[in-house]
Amino acid sequence: MTPALEELQKQLKQLPGIGYRSAERLALHLLVERPERLPGLVAALHEAARSVRRCGRCGNLAEAELCPICADAKRATGQVCVVENVPDLAALERSSAFRGRYHVLHGKLSPIHGVGPDQLNLATLLERVATGEARELILALSNDVEGEATCHYLLECLPKSGVKVMRIGFGLPSGGGVLYADPTTLKSALDGRRDYS
Amino acid sequence: MRFRQISLQNFRNLALVSAEMAGRRHFLTGANGQGKTNFLEAAGLVTALRSFRGADPRTMIAFGQPQADAAFVLEHEQLGESRLTLTLTPKGKAVAWEQTNVARLADVIGKFPTVVLSSNDNQFLRGAPSVRRRWFDLTLAAMDPEYLAALQSYHRALAERNSLLKTHGSPAELAAFEREMAGPAAILVAKRQAGAAELDGFFLAAHARLVPEGETAGLAYVPDEVIASAEQMFASLAQARSRDHLLKTTEHGPHRDDLELGLNGRPAKQYASEGQQRCLVIALRLAQSAYFKAKSGVTPVLLCDDVLGELDPVRRARFWASLDGEPQVIATGTSPPERDGSEWQVFRVAAGAITAGTKSA
Repeated sequence: MTPALEELQKQLKQLPGIGYRSAERLALHLLVERPERLPGLVAALHEAARSVRRCGRCGNLAEAELCPICADAKRATGQVCVVENVPDLAALERSSAFRGRYHVLHGKLSPIHGVGPDQLNLATLLERVATGEARELILALSNDVEGEATCHYLLECLPKSGVKVMRIGFGLPSGGGVLYADPTTLKSALDGRRDYS
Repeated sequence: MRFRQISLQNFRNLALVSAEMAGRRHFLTGANGQGKTNFLEAAGLVTALRSFRGADPRTMIAFGQPQADAAFVLEHEQLGESRLTLTLTPKGKAVAWEQTNVARLADVIGKFPTVVLSSNDNQFLRGAPSVRRRWFDLTLAAMDPEYLAALQSYHRALAERNSLLKTHGSPAELAAFEREMAGPAAILVAKRQAGAAELDGFFLAAHARLVPEGETAGLAYVPDEVIASAEQMFASLAQARSRDHLLKTTEHGPHRDDLELGLNGRPAKQYASEGQQRCLVIALRLAQSAYFKAKSGVTPVLLCDDVLGELDPVRRARFWASLDGEPQVIATGTSPPERDGSEWQVFRVAAGAITAGTKSA
């Protein structure tokens, strides 16, 4: 082992989902088995680090001032879906179920973990409401204690009129029946029942 | 419910044990430190997949062994004959039910009820309110998923609020978490009121069968605050903010509730004698068992860890007479049971080996 290899392994091991063995395997793969891949990877990392940033409006990943969704005029429907993280946004986008815009908070309130309102991407959301760009907010935060508390907090911060605030529904997964659902999910599904008549 | 067979491998000091359980009354006898309680602990795992001693799963694996295994054959009122195997490794536990691995442990938890009577139970009377609250929470949560969900949400929101109180969070942040506490708090208080009333009936009946006439036991829920609605709890938390800020913790709420055990209308903690206290805690466990049976239709197995030996022959005879619906009882003690009219299957436990003895009648 050389110091440079050890340093590379140490850096790789700090990435999510990578343990000691995987770090060693990746490092040896890049340096010994397929060294021709290395320049491409280094260039991609360098380019991504240089150009990828947060969208100035919604907090999504962007390579310009605005992310592709915010830059797309067709998506200015007035509806804004508020999510915790970028992967949540990606999941909703994959579903193609929502054609409005997003707002990524980059977390949820959790004093235990040191996350307060200042750590969240809240100020721009209030601006978007104030300018009238967001006329309906759909809160798609998780329905645990912290997600719900963040929703309460957000509601307190928003003006009392001029914006409609909706909460995403929680219930049974599609194609799944009542039989295999856990009691908490069943309760949410019953609480969120809708008029069918 | 009834255990028909219990097989253990590398479970604490029990290297290899296979016990055929005949009948409904079993007694494990042997000197101290031979493995009697370890056997009971293993049997108790079927209920919540956890040790009733609160032990870490790793400590249940025999020293120097990679894993511990426990296999149970059970008779169940609703599920019929059931086979449950449990494997404990340093990384966690795996459960197989009818030789199929169980992906979601919650599917098994609570299906096979046992109630443990141990000498530690005296803490119900002498210990802090948290001991009684824990028992109460476990009893209600085992039979009511909504209670469990409310309990978990309440405590999580409470921890977040306490963290805010320590770091001088803003009123809006506090309000956000107080709202998350208020709903579950109202559910907890309402369900505790109903649960205590129901348990009180079982407790009174169990105690009356256990002790000579002239003693009346009672169980009362003592809420820290009487909360009628989520709105009331929310208002109360908002009002308490300035004081809670000074204390840096949430002073009032369901996390400060208590249960009071009484004897002849007076608090048992102060007035009951040693023997009376022992009968009260046994009655409390029998009430828990009756509650489980009433809610689920399944009769729990009673696991008595060195408890019956402490009772005089009259009370012991009354104990047997007081058992409703012929539950299976697995008891331990340093000396074999005296003749008390019930037929025992006796197991001798010595240095981690268990041998079936003769029946004593």
